[in-house]
Amino acid sequence: MTTPSTPLLELSTLWIQVTGTWCNLTCTHCLNSSGPHNPWLKSLDTEMVTRYIKEGADLGIKEIYYTGGEPFLHKDMLLLIAHALEVVPTTVLTNGILITDQVADHLAALAQNSPYSLQIRISIDDVDPDKNDRIRGKGAFAKAVRALELLHNRGLLPILTATEILRDELPEGRGMYEQFRDLLLGLGITKPRVKIMPVLPTGRMEREGGPLLTPEMLQGFDFSLLQCSETRVVAEGGVYACPILAGLPGARLSAKSLKEALKPCDLYHTACVVCYETGMTCKN
Amino acid sequence: MSREGKEYRRIAVFGGIYNNYLALEATLEETRRRGVEALFCLGDMGAFGPNPDRVFPLLEHGKVLAIQGNYDQSLATGLDNCQCGYTDPRDNHFARLSYEYTFKKTSPENKTWLGQLPTHRRVRLGQYRLLMCHGSPRRMNEFLWESTSPNCLLEKFCRDFESDVLLFTHTGIKWHRALDGDRHVVNVGTIGRPENDGQVNVWYTILTAADGLQVEFIPVHYDCETLTQEMEHEDLPVEFIETIQTGWWTTCLEILPSKERARGKF
Repeated sequence: MTTPSTPLLELSTLWIQVTGTWCNLTCTHCLNSSGPHNPWLKSLDTEMVTRYIKEGADLGIKEIYYTGGEPFLHKDMLLLIAHALEVVPTTVLTNGILITDQVADHLAALAQNSPYSLQIRISIDDVDPDKNDRIRGKGAFAKAVRALELLHNRGLLPILTATEILRDELPEGRGMYEQFRDLLLGLGITKPRVKIMPVLPTGRMEREGGPLLTPEMLQGFDFSLLQCSETRVVAEGGVYACPILAGLPGARLSAKSLKEALKPCDLYHTACVVCYETGMTCKN
Repeated sequence: MSREGKEYRRIAVFGGIYNNYLALEATLEETRRRGVEALFCLGDMGAFGPNPDRVFPLLEHGKVLAIQGNYDQSLATGLDNCQCGYTDPRDNHFARLSYEYTFKKTSPENKTWLGQLPTHRRVRLGQYRLLMCHGSPRRMNEFLWESTSPNCLLEKFCRDFESDVLLFTHTGIKWHRALDGDRHVVNVGTIGRPENDGQVNVWYTILTAADGLQVEFIPVHYDCETLTQEMEHEDLPVEFIETIQTGWWTTCLEILPSKERARGKF
């Protein structure tokens, strides 16, 4: 069967998988199997990240997202956020564990000093601490809540980001989105921001034999609905098509530059079906 | 994209009427006092407010040169959503209420008129090449907020679209930034809804080519009381009415980036 591909309509969003798959949690649903031991994708060094930020700005990107793994494990993370914020609005996806008072102070200062928005996304998967920690690890809920509070107290308006991994366990009544809003309001977070993402069939959720996209399914399809039509990701090994498939050989478009990765990418993975069907985006 | 090449020295530009015909009336009156050569509207005639059809005769009578916004395109093509570009369920909920109302209340003739509007407009203002669009030059419903529009992107737009000045709206909050080489980007604001600063007035923009480019944001005060009475009469959501009465956004807030969200009340 022919593998369909997506054109790059514009390069707007640059993701940087700054700590590879190195994380201080081992979530059961992690889309790239991140964890503390022997990460299969290594961290990027500061010089390389800085070079890609500059290349992205030269190409006229709109925003940068830092992800991992856990970005705050990178020894120069605050410096790298500062570098990005000098040129574009910047978002960091984190589990919040390493956001201490001191880090939150630093982030608030960075946000204050940039003309561009700094958005911090904190991952939580259920409003019930026990259920959340069953997925994300013991103590993860309390630490994420602490991070939300520390950031909120400094005016940073964090975004709670959840997956639908526990959607089936929802009690009757209020939906997931409303429950997370209620959680934030209950914490005194008066401007609650919530983003919910589907679970992706990659990493620890990868299963054999999932459905694939066919050229017929893409006839007449609006490719701008797929994030790989406007996104590229820098991770160990080069530049990849999307943040979900970063690090996988089939999604690699260049070993050395964004410019070389400005070309169509194959929709070869079963995860592509999720984006195709839901129109979801990893962006804010 | 049409290249009209018509040259002006002083023009008024506004966006986002959102059915607020009273604000449109007041804006037209206000521009007359200020002596502009032409009036431009950057789209989204409908949404949010009451009685959409009252907007169109005013646009015609005022000789307003309009382009299409996402709302206008949706109404003209019979889409079932406004293409506002929201991603959050709460934002989408209120956008749907507003669109369903506006769709039902806009006449077929006015929908046809919206359908023939251009999506971009080029004019000259003194030595400046102006490009007008609704969201961004590349996408009608792209949000260009001040805090999420980096210079590197805006400079690319100016280069790619061969323009010295980019004018757009869509977000609902005005801003202006000068780029290197005497190029400018201006979000002209909206006249249909106050801009989330606790003030009930709305804003439009006057551009003058004199010694360089002058960009002035002009506040417009209009009859908010009559508007809210009509909104109540039309059973529009109380959240919309509250915004008109207080100047604080209560809906479609989740799309706001952190800096802009932090400035508002909700």
